[in-house]
Amino acid sequence: MTATTTQLAAPAIRRPRTVLVGTMFASGAALMTYFGVLAVYVSERADARDAGEEWFPEGVIELGPSGWIFWTLVLAAFTVQWAVQAIRNDDRPNAYIALALTGMFGAAVFNQLWFIINDTGFALAGTQGQFLFFVMTGTYIVFLIGAVVFLALTTMRALFGQFGPSQDDGVAAAAMFWHAVSVMYWVTWIAIFVTK
Amino acid sequence: MTMTESPPSEAAESSAAPLPAVGGLYDWLTTSDHKAIGRIWLRFGALSLLFFSVIGVLISFERLDADAIDVFGGVNSYFQMWSLYRFGIVLMVAIPLFVGLATVITPMQVGSTNIAFPRAALAAAWGYVLGSLITVISVLSGGGWGALDGVSGDEADAIRLTLLGTGMVMVSIILGTICVATTVVSLRTSGMGLTKVPLFAWSMLVAGSVWVLTLPVAIANIAILYIDLSGGAGLFVGAPNPSFDVYAQLAWILDQPAVYAAAVPVLGVAGSIIPVVAKGRQVSHEAMMILIGLAGLLAIGGWSQPFFGDERDTLVYIAFGVAALVPVLASLGGNGATLVAGEAPVGIPPAHMVGALGSMLLFLAATAAGALRVIDPLDLIGTTADTGVLNLVAVAAILGALGGWWFWAPKTDGRLFSGIQGLGAMTVLLLGGVLLGATDMIAGFVDTPDVLLASADDSLGDAMIVLSMVGSIVVLLGVLGALGAIALAYVKPGEADDDPWGGHTLEWATATPPPAGNFAEPPARVRSEAPLLDETPGDEGGES
Repeated sequence: MTATTTQLAAPAIRRPRTVLVGTMFASGAALMTYFGVLAVYVSERADARDAGEEWFPEGVIELGPSGWIFWTLVLAAFTVQWAVQAIRNDDRPNAYIALALTGMFGAAVFNQLWFIINDTGFALAGTQGQFLFFVMTGTYIVFLIGAVVFLALTTMRALFGQFGPSQDDGVAAAAMFWHAVSVMYWVTWIAIFVTK
Repeated sequence: MTMTESPPSEAAESSAAPLPAVGGLYDWLTTSDHKAIGRIWLRFGALSLLFFSVIGVLISFERLDADAIDVFGGVNSYFQMWSLYRFGIVLMVAIPLFVGLATVITPMQVGSTNIAFPRAALAAAWGYVLGSLITVISVLSGGGWGALDGVSGDEADAIRLTLLGTGMVMVSIILGTICVATTVVSLRTSGMGLTKVPLFAWSMLVAGSVWVLTLPVAIANIAILYIDLSGGAGLFVGAPNPSFDVYAQLAWILDQPAVYAAAVPVLGVAGSIIPVVAKGRQVSHEAMMILIGLAGLLAIGGWSQPFFGDERDTLVYIAFGVAALVPVLASLGGNGATLVAGEAPVGIPPAHMVGALGSMLLFLAATAAGALRVIDPLDLIGTTADTGVLNLVAVAAILGALGGWWFWAPKTDGRLFSGIQGLGAMTVLLLGGVLLGATDMIAGFVDTPDVLLASADDSLGDAMIVLSMVGSIVVLLGVLGALGAIALAYVKPGEADDDPWGGHTLEWATATPPPAGNFAEPPARVRSEAPLLDETPGDEGGES
C-alpha cells in the first residue's frame, strides 16, 4: 500500500449551474420578445380605442376556452415542479410521470389555442386587431413548442440517467423555461381575453 | 493499494497541451475552443468594419450634392446604403467585435477553462457571419429596410430577406452574449465573487444583459413587420408597398438611449487597461462597477420605439438622454484618478492606452451630444445630429474594441501587434471620429435633415457636410491602418511574452498563445480584483 492521503483524489467540486444560468438569460430574452409583441398589441389597441374604432367584433373572443388554457398551465406548473423535486429525491418513476404529464398539458394547450384561432375566424390580412392577434398567438405557439421540445429532451436525458440528486440542472432549467412560457400566457390572458 | 488514477498535478499538465491548430474549414466549423470561436467574430467583424467604413465614405460623397445622386444612382439605392451603414456599423461591427473579444478573454479573466456552452457560442459566431452576409446581399439585391420611392415585388421579397438577416444577426448576438454572461456568472474561479470580476468581464455582463433584454424587443418588431409583409395587409410597413416605415419602426435601436449599449464595454476595456498602464490598482473598483452598471441601465431603450407613439417628447426620454452623460464622465474621472495615482507612462503612450482613453472620450462626446439632442428648444431630433450621435457611439465602440484587441493580442492571436502602427491608426481613428461626430452635430444645429438628400440651406451646413466627408475618409484611413497592422503581425509575427504589459488579471497568467484549457494548473484562490498583483511579493494590495 503506497498511497498517501495527499495522493487521494480531490473531493468533487459542485458543478456550476451553467445550464440554469444560461436558461435564465434565454428565458429573459424569450419573455422580452413576447412582451415586445404584446406591448405593440396593447399600444395599437389603445390607439384604436382612442380613435373610436372597434378592435374585435363583439362576442368573438370568448373567455371560456382561454380560461381552460390558463388552468391547464397552472396544473402544468405544479407537475413540472413535481418533476424537479422527484429528480432531487432520486425518485425516477415520479419524475418520468411528472415530465410526461407536463408534456401532455403542453400538447393540450397547443390544441386549445388552435381551437381558439379557428373559432375566431380571424384573417391575417384583416384588421389591425386580427393581424396582431395572429402574431401574438403565433409567437406564443413558437415558444410553447420550444418549451415542449426542451422538456422532451430533458425527459430523454433523464431516462438515460443523466440527472440525479446531485445533478438536477437540466430539469430545473426546463422547468424555468416552462414557467416563463406560462407567465407569457397568463399575462396574455388578462391583456387579450379578459380586457379584450 | 495501488493508485490507478493520475494525480491532480499530472492531469493539469495534460490539459496544458499546445492549442490544436485550427486550420481547415472543418476545424473552424466544429471547434469548441473559445479562443478560436472568438477569432471568428473578430476576423469577420474586422472585414465588416472595412466594408462599412467604405460604405460610410460613399454615403458622405453622395451627400455633397443634394440635387444629383451620382454614386448610388437612385434615391432608393441611397436610402438602402444609408440604412445599411447604420445597422451594419452597430450590429455587424461594433457589437460583434466586443462579443468576439469577450468570447476569447472573459473565460480566461474569470479563471475558466472554456466558455459556457461552447457549441452554442460557435453556432452564434457562424450565425452572425451568415446573418450579416444575408443582410448585405439582400440589400445589394434591392432589399433593405423599406424604401423612399416605392418597390417592385422582387424588392419586397428582398426586404423580407433583409429583415430575416437582421433578425439572424440579433439572435446570434443574443446567443453569443448569453454564453459570455453565463461564463462570468457561473464559471468564476475560486474566491472570485462578483465584486472581484475584472472590469471588462463585468462590462460584458452588463452590456450583454442589456442586449439580451433589448434586442429581443427589436426581434419582436421584425417579426411583426415580416409577417405583415408576408401575409398581412401591410398595416405596419406602409401599404401598399414597404416604405420608410419599416426603417422607422426599427430605428430606435440605432437611436439613443438603446445605441449607447453598443459602447458600454468601452468602459470595461478602459477600466482593464488603464490600471495596467498606470502600474497600480484601479482607484475604486467597486465604484467603477456601479458606474458601468448605471451606464447599462441608462442604455435600455425598448420603450422608446415609435410603435408606442413619439416617446421622444416625454420627460423620461429627456431624463435618460441627460443622465447617460453622468456614468461615462464619472468613469473617465475614475480612470484619470487611477492614472494620476499610479505611474503614468512617460513619452509615447502605448496604442492600447490611446484606444482606451480615446474611446472613452468619444463615448463621452456621444452622450454629451445626446444630452443636447434631447433638449427640445434646440430642435435637433430628425437632423444630422441623429447620425452624429450614432457615429460617435460607433467610432467609440470600434476604437475601444481595437484598443482592447491590441492589448489582448497575445491572448487572442498569440502575437503582439505593432505599437507604433497601432498608435498611428488609433490616433487617426480618434480624430476621424471627432470630426465625423462634431460636423454632423453642427450641421444639425442649422437644421440639415438626416434621412433625405437635401441641401442644408445654409453655408455652414454645407461646409459641415464637406467636413463630415473628410471625417469619414479619416476614419477609413484609421481603419485601414489598424487592419493593416493586424495583417502585418501575421506576415511578420513578433515574439510575445506571456505577460508583456505586467497585467493584473488572470488572462495574463496563461501562456501566449493560451493552451487548450487555458491554465496549466487551476488558478490560486482569488483574493482581489487584481489577483496577479496579490501574488507579487511586497505589493501593498496583496493583503486583502
